[in-house]
Amino acid sequence: MNQSNSIAGRGIPPEALAVLKQIDARRKNFSRNLRISLAILVLLMVVGLVVLGLDFKFMSKWIGFILTGLGFTLLVSVLAISLACVLAVIGALGRLSRNPIFNAMATLYVSLIRGTPLLVQVYMWYLALPQIGGALERLGLVGIQKYLTLPAIPAGIMALAVCYGAYMTETVRAGIQSIKIGQGEAAKALGMTGAQTMRRVIFPQALRVIIPPVSNEFIAMVKDSSLVSLMGVWELSFRAIKIGRRYFQSLEMLILVAAIYWVMCIVLQTVQERIEKHMARGERGENG
Amino acid sequence: MSNNNVMVKIRNLHKVFGQDLHVLDGIDLDVSVGEVVSILGPSGSGKSTLLRCINFLEEPTAGTIEVDGVAIKAGEKSKDHAAKILDIRKKTGMCFQAFNLFPHMTAIGNVMEGPVTVLGQTKKEATPYAEELLDWVGLSDKRDEFPARLSGGQQQRVAIARSLAMKPKIMLFDEPTSALDPELVGEVVDVMERLANEGMTIIAVTHEMHFARDVSSRVFIMDGGNWIEEGSPEEMFTNPKEERSKQFLAHIL
Repeated sequence: MNQSNSIAGRGIPPEALAVLKQIDARRKNFSRNLRISLAILVLLMVVGLVVLGLDFKFMSKWIGFILTGLGFTLLVSVLAISLACVLAVIGALGRLSRNPIFNAMATLYVSLIRGTPLLVQVYMWYLALPQIGGALERLGLVGIQKYLTLPAIPAGIMALAVCYGAYMTETVRAGIQSIKIGQGEAAKALGMTGAQTMRRVIFPQALRVIIPPVSNEFIAMVKDSSLVSLMGVWELSFRAIKIGRRYFQSLEMLILVAAIYWVMCIVLQTVQERIEKHMARGERGENG
Repeated sequence: MSNNNVMVKIRNLHKVFGQDLHVLDGIDLDVSVGEVVSILGPSGSGKSTLLRCINFLEEPTAGTIEVDGVAIKAGEKSKDHAAKILDIRKKTGMCFQAFNLFPHMTAIGNVMEGPVTVLGQTKKEATPYAEELLDWVGLSDKRDEFPARLSGGQQQRVAIARSLAMKPKIMLFDEPTSALDPELVGEVVDVMERLANEGMTIIAVTHEMHFARDVSSRVFIMDGGNWIEEGSPEEMFTNPKEERSKQFLAHIL
């Protein structure tokens, strides 16, 4: 609490100070108890695993091998989310467009992709696309098949990007629509074009609204990146499942890989909180 | 095509919302360079819509609007329609009842936004004039504050500076003091008055009596989508001719 923020001239009376102290103590108590509770829950989980007789030696022996798959997971996730963001912005502009063709394309994209399982889409990019290439080749587009025959990782990136792009299209659209109409009017009254209004005024404000749901999508995608294992990519979960099966110690391997994903997502969540804090600049209530 | 002395020329302006909500009913208006016009009238009479038609925030349904020599006929299908609208908007500054400052930019950022984005100046080029304007509205010390940390009156003064940064030929004020606490009205009206004294052409939709009576050169009373009557402030406030004007003025005076 900052003294210099005081509006009233005279000092705060002692009984009010006592109340403030109580409120502060209650708040501090709560956050302390929250942290203790969380620690106890995590401890209970670890104790539970020890009681189950988990083979920690086995886990530590293979952790290096499994972590080698982390690179694939991160590569796929980061590239897919970047591409998904681009698709989402284009998709959202399409969904809000008054051009019927552009709007229809965006609407169809969202509906089709959200309406089909990601699993099917992954196979579509990997197994079915080459067949489409073959068909096009027969129709006279010579040489196209080799471009439509994607290796596992690019196929996985495309599948995830296109799928998450569709979900995020709706997030971005809602974010854009949440900005008050007066903002666009003020920009236009200055003489800005529609594109300038979007880029300088609407989008930066919408970004603040959509950061939490987009982070949510990103966290979901990091885990869905395990779907590239379907195509034989040796990423995190694929390695864990392989080793678990070979030595009949699936429990250890699954718990290990789950923990790795969890840590990754905790890191991402921290990054999200940082970004949100930064974006909150200019909002009422910042720094009290 | 335009008389040098004419800033705004509106002929037979109609605005219909939806299929049948007839808000503006054949408005004519001429405003000369340097004139200060106040528009009064009961809510729903079409005042704001008229103002918003002048810079095409609302697309008129019929009629012509001419601002500083740029004339646009409603519904015209010409290729340069959009370009002419941008042209008119660059010549026109507008202040809104809700201020509509950009919350993600500081005060000076708001003021520089037009010159930087629309006129293509660098921030460095735009800064001195933006600072001068902030100083002119008395807010030099709030240069780097975000709008959320400013009072309503301060926000509206930044909004005026933001409009002035585009060096407009005419300022439109859409109930600029209606959202303000009474004690903050004065600081905004004061800025408007100084603007008028410096020769700015102004059209203001306002119920602020000091501005309407002492600052404006002409007062229009509007109802049902057209003028009831117009005249000098003295005539309108002391001796209105029309019964509806008298009724309306009795409510606000």
